[in-house]
Amino acid sequence: MAAQETFFGHSLKVDKSRCLGCTTCMRSCPTGAIRIRGGKAVVYDNKCVDCGNCMKVCPHKAIYIQQDDFALIHNYEYRVCLVPTTFIGQFEEKFRTREIYACLKKLGFTHIYEVEHEVEYVVELYKKYIAKHPEIRTFISPYCPAVIRLIQVRFPSLVDNIIRVRAPFELAAHIMTNRLMDEGASRESIGVFYVTPCAAKIAAVKYPVSNKETMITGVINMDFLFNKVQLMLRESKKDAEAINHSLTSRDILWPLPGGEASLFRGSHYAVDGLQNVLNFLERLEDETVDARGLVEMRICDQGCVGGVLATNNRFVARKRLEDRARLLDQPDRPLNRYTRYNNPEFCKWIDEQMEIDEITPHSIYKLDDNFAEAIKMAERMKKIEKALPGVNCSACGAPSCAALAEDIVRGDADISSCMFINRHSQASEDAIRNIWGDRIKTRTINQDKSE
Amino acid sequence: MHYTFDIERGNFTDAGQASSSVKRTLKHLGVAPANIKRTVVALFEAEINAIAHAYGGTIDVDIDDQKIVMVVADKGPGIPNLDLAMQEGWSTASAEVREMGYGAGMGLPNIKKNTDDLKIESTVGVGTTVTMTVFFA
Ligand SMILES: Nc1ncnc2c1ncn2[C@@H]1O[C@H](COP(=O)(O)OP(=O)(O)OP(=O)(O)O)[C@@H](O)[C@H]1O
Ligand code: SF4
Ligand code: SF4
Ligand SMILES: [Mg+2]
Repeated sequence: MAAQETFFGHSLKVDKSRCLGCTTCMRSCPTGAIRIRGGKAVVYDNKCVDCGNCMKVCPHKAIYIQQDDFALIHNYEYRVCLVPTTFIGQFEEKFRTREIYACLKKLGFTHIYEVEHEVEYVVELYKKYIAKHPEIRTFISPYCPAVIRLIQVRFPSLVDNIIRVRAPFELAAHIMTNRLMDEGASRESIGVFYVTPCAAKIAAVKYPVSNKETMITGVINMDFLFNKVQLMLRESKKDAEAINHSLTSRDILWPLPGGEASLFRGSHYAVDGLQNVLNFLERLEDETVDARGLVEMRICDQGCVGGVLATNNRFVARKRLEDRARLLDQPDRPLNRYTRYNNPEFCKWIDEQMEIDEITPHSIYKLDDNFAEAIKMAERMKKIEKALPGVNCSACGAPSCAALAEDIVRGDADISSCMFINRHSQASEDAIRNIWGDRIKTRTINQDKSE
Repeated sequence: MHYTFDIERGNFTDAGQASSSVKRTLKHLGVAPANIKRTVVALFEAEINAIAHAYGGTIDVDIDDQKIVMVVADKGPGIPNLDLAMQEGWSTASAEVREMGYGAGMGLPNIKKNTDDLKIESTVGVGTTVTMTVFFA
């Protein structure tokens, strides 16, 4: 592919020593971001949306998510662990939340803060945004970063439907930093570490759509932290340390499908799972569904408990969160909300911090900036597609025959990579006929070029 | 560039194939999203009409750097009163068609709204040809 500006960075990496080039990930990627090159999977940065699907399907565990060095937390005097309730959902109900938090403190954190403390305020920001935009009918939630990117690359016509509000973890980081600064801590002495259930959230922190300052210092993979805490919980009953736990039952359910919708209350839709999200976006784009109000969308099946770094089965984690919410039985917010929320000046500042200034489209389809050139390429692509067998075998290193045709016109592949073309020996022609019958005509490159 | 598609009578299952294929091409060409949307909505409505009210037909699509021209030609009963057909809410859709979720009488008005030029030639007992143009600039 020609040298291009990189719009997106990723924490998702391929371990070349494990990857066998089996094509499983390539064929499951929703944006066609993967190719096989040199016998290994290669991810194209501008196409990948960090959905984590490739990692979920890889049979060889060759795809992993880079994380910050845990020892980094000790560079800070105040070490805040920002936990989403998805993390709590990973543990059996017999472990109390405060026992889990006590373990986190033993691991080196000085403060534990639940991201969901701020979700109610974030939903208020959604409502303000919606009120300010009467010209828009369908508002897509900005919560799942993989959805935002998917829209940028595959459904660019819908970028203006995304609510331009940053994620709750960003608000939680701001609030916690301010709380500590109120108590006299200096900004440099505070490190805020977010426990992520997915690759998308890491990308959202490290390569944000918004160019506003982030207050997240580092990101910790949920599976890594879960293993550590689980071990500590098993080893001994921890001396439970009281922590001011002030979530409502609805806050706890936030990561599950319908979590945003239940706080929003107005007209809403809740869509979860990659295929469902793709279908719904397709329909929104074609206007074959007329969705008025808030469309909550999560790339993962069952929402964030289905995140690629969530260790436990998503249905189990979902039930556990539902049980914990029921047990808590606390429908309304207790009184210890951050005091500066009562200060209009502070709220004005926070609201500005939470704005996403712009979400730009980055279509993965566009063949060329020059229209006449693009038409030429599209025509050639159609011709090549017709010449290819259409069995989508992926042996060429592309996910489908159509994708190979596109790669060829983009100058990123050659027609000779197709195994069905350029068969010179009678034996290979016979073999192909045995498998595919007369459906596929074998031919040599020369024949093909003269077509 | 030029494309042709066949439309099969009563085949609602495959409806939309032409419009999604056109959509993909327009995305490849980098056509503005709003114009893609208009094109796809119009083509889909015309395709459905040929499936629902006629006995199938063909779609011809021509794209150049200025515009897309879509010609949906069917063999069918034709439209006896075009003015009436163009009215919002007017529909002769059969019970079967209504069961498929169509028949609100909004198709043709929607096509009119979404295209820059619309020409309908119809002969009763012979068929209908709908020619739709969307300009990109
Ligand atoms: N290709 C066609 N052949 C014959 N009659 C047609 C054709 N297209 C439209 N009509 C007639 O014009 C009427 C109005 O068409 P229009 O597309 O506006 O509404 P509809 O198809 O009935 O319902 P909707 O499009 O909302 O599902 C139809 O009910 C039908 O009588
Ligand atoms: S994370 Fe998703 S978009 Fe990125 S390469 Fe993997 S499957 Fe494709
Ligand atoms: S649904 Fe949740 S866990 Fe999954 S990618 Fe989106 S934000 Fe991450
Ligand atoms: Mg119609």
